[in-house]
Amino acid sequence: MKKLCVAASIAVVMLLAACSSGTSAGSPSSNGVVKLVLWMGYTPPPPASQGAEYESLKGLVADFTRLHPKIHIQMEYVDNDYALQKVTVALQGGEQPDISYQYGTNMPQVAQAPEVVNLTQTVKQPAYGWSDFTPGERDVATVGGKVLGIPALVDNLAVVYNKTLFAQHHLAPPGPDWTWSQLAADAKAITDPAKKIFGLTFPADGSETTVWEYEAMLWEAGGHLLTPGNSKAAFNSPAGVQALQLLRSMQQAHSLYLDFHPDAGTSESLFNSGKLGMIITGPWDLSSFPAVHYGVQIMPSFTAGGSHQTISGPDNWVVFNNGPARVQASLEFLKFLISPANLLKNSLATGDLPTRLSVQKLPGFAEFNKKYPGAGLFAQNLHNVLQARPQIPQYPRISAALGREVVAALLGQASPQAALNSAAQQADTYLATGG
Amino acid sequence: MTAASAAASRKRGRRIRRILQSDHLSGWAFAFPAVFLIFVFGIVPLIWSALLSFQQTNLISPPHWIGLANFRALSHDQLFRQSVAHSLVYTALFVPISVAGGLFTAIALNRKIRGVRFYRTAVFVPVILSTIATAIMFLWLLDPNFGLVNFLLGEIGLGPYGFFDSATGALYSIVGMTVWGWLGFDVIVYLAALQGIPPTLVEAAEIDGARTWGMFRNITLPLLGPATLFLVVWSSINALQLFDEVYFLTKGGPGTATYVVVYYLYSLAFNQGVAGYAAAIAYVLLVAILSLTLVQLWVGKRLVYYAS
Amino acid sequence: MTGSTVPASRVPSLATGAKAGAERGRRGGSASQREPGQFLFSPWHLVLIPIAIAMLVPMVWMLATSLETLNETRHFPPIILPHTLRPANYSDVLTQAPFARWFVNTMIVTVVTVAGNLLFCSLAGYAFARIKFFGREVVFVLILATLMIPFQVVMIPTFIIVKDLGMINTLYALIVPNLAGAFGIFLLRQFFRTLPVELEEAARIDGASRLSVLFKIVLPLSGPALATLAVITFLWTWNDFLWPLITIYTPNNMTLQLGLATFEGTHQTSFNLLMAANVMSMLPVLLLFFLAQRYFIRGIATSGLKG
Repeated sequence: MKKLCVAASIAVVMLLAACSSGTSAGSPSSNGVVKLVLWMGYTPPPPASQGAEYESLKGLVADFTRLHPKIHIQMEYVDNDYALQKVTVALQGGEQPDISYQYGTNMPQVAQAPEVVNLTQTVKQPAYGWSDFTPGERDVATVGGKVLGIPALVDNLAVVYNKTLFAQHHLAPPGPDWTWSQLAADAKAITDPAKKIFGLTFPADGSETTVWEYEAMLWEAGGHLLTPGNSKAAFNSPAGVQALQLLRSMQQAHSLYLDFHPDAGTSESLFNSGKLGMIITGPWDLSSFPAVHYGVQIMPSFTAGGSHQTISGPDNWVVFNNGPARVQASLEFLKFLISPANLLKNSLATGDLPTRLSVQKLPGFAEFNKKYPGAGLFAQNLHNVLQARPQIPQYPRISAALGREVVAALLGQASPQAALNSAAQQADTYLATGG
Repeated sequence: MTAASAAASRKRGRRIRRILQSDHLSGWAFAFPAVFLIFVFGIVPLIWSALLSFQQTNLISPPHWIGLANFRALSHDQLFRQSVAHSLVYTALFVPISVAGGLFTAIALNRKIRGVRFYRTAVFVPVILSTIATAIMFLWLLDPNFGLVNFLLGEIGLGPYGFFDSATGALYSIVGMTVWGWLGFDVIVYLAALQGIPPTLVEAAEIDGARTWGMFRNITLPLLGPATLFLVVWSSINALQLFDEVYFLTKGGPGTATYVVVYYLYSLAFNQGVAGYAAAIAYVLLVAILSLTLVQLWVGKRLVYYAS
Repeated sequence: MTGSTVPASRVPSLATGAKAGAERGRRGGSASQREPGQFLFSPWHLVLIPIAIAMLVPMVWMLATSLETLNETRHFPPIILPHTLRPANYSDVLTQAPFARWFVNTMIVTVVTVAGNLLFCSLAGYAFARIKFFGREVVFVLILATLMIPFQVVMIPTFIIVKDLGMINTLYALIVPNLAGAFGIFLLRQFFRTLPVELEEAARIDGASRLSVLFKIVLPLSGPALATLAVITFLWTWNDFLWPLITIYTPNNMTLQLGLATFEGTHQTSFNLLMAANVMSMLPVLLLFFLAQRYFIRGIATSGLKG
C-alpha cells in the first residue's frame, strides 16, 4: 500500500514535471492554410515586459498575414543564447521550427544539420537584393560557400564618448578621420585617478567580447585574423602587435579600465555615471546612457587616412525544411520582412539598424537619427563593415585562445608579441586538427 | 534408503531448490531498479567516457574516431598544465587549512561551556549552504569597491584588494571562501571522533600525570587518525574537482589565474565543441584522483592507529 | 582549565558531594542545575567567539544588504544598519525573475529524487544485506566503485544519454539519473545488517514475503538511517549546480541554484536584489537544517567514521 502510494505520487509529480516544457510544430492543414512556426528571442510575450522588437515583429507578422491570408505564423519565444541547442534537440525529435533566429556565430554548427535550407540560389533573385547587404552580413550568412541565412539584425562597434568630459578637459570632439594615438591622448587627458575616472574601458574577461573588439582594431591596423583559406593564424603580425600594444600602453598609462565582467553592465553604468570618457560599444547600448550627454564617432584608424573598419555581429533567420509548402511560405515571409520599407518601419520602431544599406537613402530615414540620437552614425558605419569573423567550426577555440592571450598581455603577464605568438600557435593546432 | 524417505528427500530437494531459486529471483527483483539506474548512469558512462577520449565530437554532430590525437594534444597543452598547477595549489592549501582548522575548532567545541550549542550551530550552518549561495555572499563581502572586508582592512591600514578581480589573489580568495564553507564538515567528523574517545583512556593518562599537550599528542591525535585520514582523502578528492565557484565567480580569470582542471574540461566540452578532448582530460583527472587516494591510504595505513 | 574531554556525567560519583558542592559555592553558581565543569566564561570563548563571528558575519551582512536601497549598497564606507528598509527588494526579485518557478522546479526534483532514493535504495540495500543472490558480491563492489568516480568523468556521456532519451531541458534530466545512488545503497545495507535478523526470520517462517518483511518490519526500525539518507539526498539535490547547468537552458525550467547564477549575471551591480534572492534561496535548506539537525550531523559523522 505504502509502495503504491509512493509510486503513484512519483508518477503524478513526473506528469506535472512533464508539463514544464514543450514545443509545438505546425503542420499544413487540409484546406490549404499553411501554419509556420517562428522561433525568435525577443522579449517574451505578455505578461512579461514588452520589448520594442517583439511588438514590431508582431506587427509585421500581422501585416504579412493580411496580405497572405493562407499563411499563419506562430511566434514562439526561444532565448537567443540557447537557440542553437534548442534547435539541435528539436531536429533530433523531428520537431524543428520553420524559421529560427540564430546568432551569426552559430552558423557553422547550424550548417551541419541537413534540414537547413540552402538559399544560395534563392537570394540571387532580384527581390532579395543580396548585394544591398553589407559584405560582413553576407559573409556571416555563408558557410562553406552556401548561403544558409537571411540577415535578421546587424550592428557594429563605434566609439561613444562623454561630451561633457571632453569639454571639461578642452578636448576637441573626435572627428571621422581621427587616429588611435588621438584617442589614447584624449583618454589620458580625461583620466583622473582621484575621482576614479578612466579614459576608455575594455572588456577583459577573455571571452568573445574581448576578442571581437580586439579584432576590429586588428583590421583597422591592416591585419587579418587568419590567412586566406583559413589555414593558419595571421594575427601575430606587426599589425596585430600594434593593436595590442596600443591597448597595453593605455593600460600602463592607467587610462584604460579593464572590465572583467563585461556582461554585467559594469562599463555601461560607469559610463552613465560619468566615470568613463569613452566606451566602444554598439547601438544596443545607447538607451543605457540617459544621464550622459554623449556623442558617437566611428572607430579611429592607426594611420592618418588609414582604415576605419569596424566589426559587426549579424544574426540570421535560418529556414528549416518541413516540406515544400512550408519552405515556400517561409521564404515569402522573409522576403516581406526584408523589404526596404519594412526594414525602415522596424528600425524606427526599435532603434535597430536597418540591415540593408539602401534603407538609409529612403526619405523617412531622417527620422531615425532624430528618434535615436547617435544611431544614425552607427547606420552610416555599416559602410565600414567590410569583413566578418571566419565561419569555421574551430572559431570558438581560436577565439578562446586569443582572448586569453590578449588579457594576459593587458595584465602584463606577457609582451604583446609573445602573447599573440602563443595564441597563434594554439590556433594553428586547432586549424590543423579540425578543432 | 526406503522408498518413502527417498521420496521425502526428493521433495525436500525440490523445496530447497525452489527457495534458492526464489532467493535469486527476489534478490534481483529487489536490487534491479537501483542497480539498473546505477549501471545506466554510472557504469556505462564510465566506459563510454573512455571511448569518447579517442573521438572528436561537438555533442551536436556524430562523433568520429581520432585515435590518440587527444592525448597527444594534451601533452602540448599549456593551458592544461596551468590548470593542473592551479588545481594542485588549491588542493595543497585547502586541505591542510580546512582539516587543521577543523580539528582546532572541534577541540574548542568539545567543551561543556555555556553557549556551546550556539557556537556549534554557527560553525555547522555554512556547510549546508550551496556553493552558489556562498559565492554570492562572498562576491559581495569581497567586493573591491563596496565590500565589508576591504573596508575593515582599510581601517587597519591594509588593502584595498581586488580579491576575485585580482590576478594574483583570486585563487587564494577562493581558498578562503571554500575553507569557510567546509570547515564545519571537518568539525562534525572530528567532534564525532573526539566523543568516541573512551574517557577511561583519558582518565588513566591523567592519573599517570599526563599534561594537556602531551595527552593531545600521544593519545588524542593518534586516536583521531582514522578521522584525519578520511578528511584528508575526502577533502583532496573534492578539492581536485573544484568547479562551481570558478564558473560562477571568475570563469577561470582574471586572465587564466583560476583555471582549474574541471573548469577547463567543462569549457572544452560545452563552449568550444571538443567533448572528446574533454573526456580525455576527465580520464586523466580520474587516474590522478585514484592515484592520490591510493597514496594517501597507503600512507595512512602506516601512520594511522586503528583502535580495535 | 578543564581541557578534559570527559563528559561530566562520567565523573565518578565520589567527586561530587563535598568537593563539587564547594566548587559550586566558590564559583557562586546559581541554583540551576549546571553540571560541574560547565563554566560561565572559559578562555575557550576567546577562540570560539571570533570563529562564530567569522561564520555568521557574511550571512548577517547579506541579510542587511538584502533590505537596503541600491544607493545605500553603493555607499562607502559600507552601511552596517540600513537607514531605510526596502523589503520591496524581495518582491522585485520575484517579479524580475521566475524565482517562484525555480523554487517549484527544485522542490519537485528534490522531493522525487529523495522518494526514489528511499524506495530503490531500501529495496537494493535490503537485498544486498539479507538476500543471497547470484552475483551479489560482484555487483556490490561495482556499485561501491562508482562512489569513487568523480562526476566529471561520467558527465559528458550521461549528457549524451539524457539527450538521446529526449530529456534535455526537462526536469526528467535532473531526476532520472539520480533516482538511486550508491551512497544510499551502502548506507542502508550497512544499517540493515545491524538489525537483529531473528525478527525477520521469524516473520518469514510465519509465511511473510520478503517484501512485507522489508516494509512491515525492517523499514519501521530504520527511521534514523532513512531520515539521514533523506536529509543528505535533499541537501545534495537542492544544492546541485553543475548537472543542471549543462542540461537545462530555458529560464523557466531552471533550478534555484542555476537560476540564481543567471540572476547574478544580469543583476551583478544590484547587490541588494542579489542578496534578497540569495536569502530566499537559503531559507528552505536552513529550515530543514534546524528541524533535522541531528540527521545532517549523523549523516556526515557516520560517513566519516566508517571511512
